[in-house]
Amino acid sequence: MHLHDPSSTSKPLRQTLPLTLLAVGLIVAAGISVVGVSTYYAVRPGSPSGPLTITDDLGRHVTVPLDPARVVVLGPSIMDSMDRLGLRSHVVGVDCYASTLGGLSADYSPNQIALWNLSSSMCVQTGPTFNVEQLLALGPQLVLAATIVSVAAVEQITQTYQIPVVMLQPATLTGVILDDQLLGEIFGASAASTSLVDTLELTLSQAASFQDNLTANGTPFPTVLVTYYADGSGYWTFGPGTFGQSLVELASGASISANATLSYPELSGEQVLAVDPQYLVYGTGFGLNESTYTGGPFWSQLSATQDGRAIGMDSNYFTEPDPTMILVGLPQLIGILHPGPSA
Amino acid sequence: MVTPPPRIARASGRRPWVLGLLLALLGVGVFFSPILGTVAVSPETVLKILLHQASGGTLFSDPCAGGSVPASGCAGLIEIVWDARLSEIMLAVVVGAGLGISGGTLQGVFRNPLADPFLLGISSGGTLGAAVVVVFRIGVSEQNLVLPLFAFVGAIGTGVVILIAARSRFGSVETLLLTGVALSSFLSAVLALLLLYSPTGSLQVDFWLLGNLGSLDWTQDGIAFGVVLVAGTLLATYGRELNLLQLGPDVAQSLGVDSRKVRVRLLLLASVTTAAAVAFTGIIGFVGLVSPHVVRRIAGSDYRIVLPGAALVGGGFLLAARDLSLIAFPGTLLPIGIFTSFAGAPFFAYLLFRRRGASTMGVP
Repeated sequence: MHLHDPSSTSKPLRQTLPLTLLAVGLIVAAGISVVGVSTYYAVRPGSPSGPLTITDDLGRHVTVPLDPARVVVLGPSIMDSMDRLGLRSHVVGVDCYASTLGGLSADYSPNQIALWNLSSSMCVQTGPTFNVEQLLALGPQLVLAATIVSVAAVEQITQTYQIPVVMLQPATLTGVILDDQLLGEIFGASAASTSLVDTLELTLSQAASFQDNLTANGTPFPTVLVTYYADGSGYWTFGPGTFGQSLVELASGASISANATLSYPELSGEQVLAVDPQYLVYGTGFGLNESTYTGGPFWSQLSATQDGRAIGMDSNYFTEPDPTMILVGLPQLIGILHPGPSA
Repeated sequence: MVTPPPRIARASGRRPWVLGLLLALLGVGVFFSPILGTVAVSPETVLKILLHQASGGTLFSDPCAGGSVPASGCAGLIEIVWDARLSEIMLAVVVGAGLGISGGTLQGVFRNPLADPFLLGISSGGTLGAAVVVVFRIGVSEQNLVLPLFAFVGAIGTGVVILIAARSRFGSVETLLLTGVALSSFLSAVLALLLLYSPTGSLQVDFWLLGNLGSLDWTQDGIAFGVVLVAGTLLATYGRELNLLQLGPDVAQSLGVDSRKVRVRLLLLASVTTAAAVAFTGIIGFVGLVSPHVVRRIAGSDYRIVLPGAALVGGGFLLAARDLSLIAFPGTLLPIGIFTSFAGAPFFAYLLFRRRGASTMGVP
């Protein structure tokens, strides 16, 4: 038969084929789906006591075991809360890059790895792709995750493998405190939770009192640019609604990006030079240091760099919504912006 | 009977046995792939678990005996091998097959060797659909289902726009191609604007954009398989018409093929197939582009062979990409879309330059 022989038409076949295929497809698809229903799921070791239904930061209602013994934490900010609540021993797995992509050190600073006694055997790869196999191998009873993991993947874990996943992604500093209360509730650690929350609230109220005093005395807030990256065209910074911006406001600073349109804008060199902020705070850690920023436009012409008011701070303090941001980051920033005994 | 010009007849020589060979190779790949994963499990244990599960638990009552087990115990290993790996492998084959046959179809429809399932903006539509879910927090508690659904709707919506263009009196091949390119750019711009105001959403969309086989869910596999099987098999029945379209619309018309009607049907089926594939896995490049060319190189340019062959090669290509990434980067799960492009680009260049000057389209 020649390739273009009109007599080779397959029209009759095509008329009946769609229905046949549809039927076959649906039967096969249903069969494949049923495999999932009949699948044997692992019984998580260490039967937890009574279930508790909570609402997480994404508004999801999740039923979790009370005081689970085996927990996987996906997000350094959650790990910080767990440690400060005295719950480190419950953590059997943490987020990381695969060992060939940097391992734990891609997600956690050397200090954090040492402080929290993290090891590569605890790794659940969350970047660049979430690794379900590694999660399953750890046999967790609960997963606490920030949105460094795909929400769709999280739902998959909850529904397919019946491992409850609580998403902790606070939008405000108040949300950080509420999350610590939530963790205390889940783990039955109300005393530790209350103590931590009291300390956090005290730190925030002290910052607020300091700010009230400045306002009462008519002392203007110093202008500041907080940057987490610089390139040839400008400085990347924090805009409205971000933790970086909140921290500057709480530290009684006048951020030059407070009125930016975007959450994470890049201010051009000329914008920064025009304002010439009194302080320039740049993020450090994870490969970032002063040399990352010295190539930024007009770096050496800025008053802050000339007068020694360009100061580095751990980037985590601006980006990780956790107790350390409030307890360490906030006082440190206040100390930078308001040097002297009054701070 | 009209005798074809000698050059075309030679270029399109059929080798149906190739399909059997490709199917056998794919079968071997599917059989051995569960051995590879990001958690170390011995091949013997993997085999025992597969037989244990396939036999409903009658064979190897303790499939993990003699091997090391993780903290989650043998039950955890069974989940890893049977649920996670097997469903991932299944999805790789189904999605690869869908992208392969769609690519072959679109290359035939447009008579363009560079055509692939993403040329018409279908992927951009899918991405925008996914982004809408993430940015506007639609169905957060059901995002594993809502996100693929919106991605499918976005992709298929884009396909429908192309179809409307195809049905119009301006629906020439060139117009369709340019409409697709313009639509793709427009949708990408809308996406960029949307994400500019939602950096958190940007990260979530990135997860989807990178492409992955990690849904690990038999239900999703079943849906993808059903859609790709039906739409893909229907596409495969259009091999003769695609052969005639290669001679030009006028010649095809004179031989009884309503080229516009056939084009619309093929675009619809290719859009559905692609949309089903990308909805569950995100963007996976190069499979749809490379697979048909591989088949043409080894089996000639007869679309009755090229289309099913491209499905088999596409499935095998994606599966091989998964396996090779796990061999090259042990313990690391790479977004499969990255790896297909890494592996596909040099392989594609090799194919093109191996026979310098030869057309892979089988037409002069």
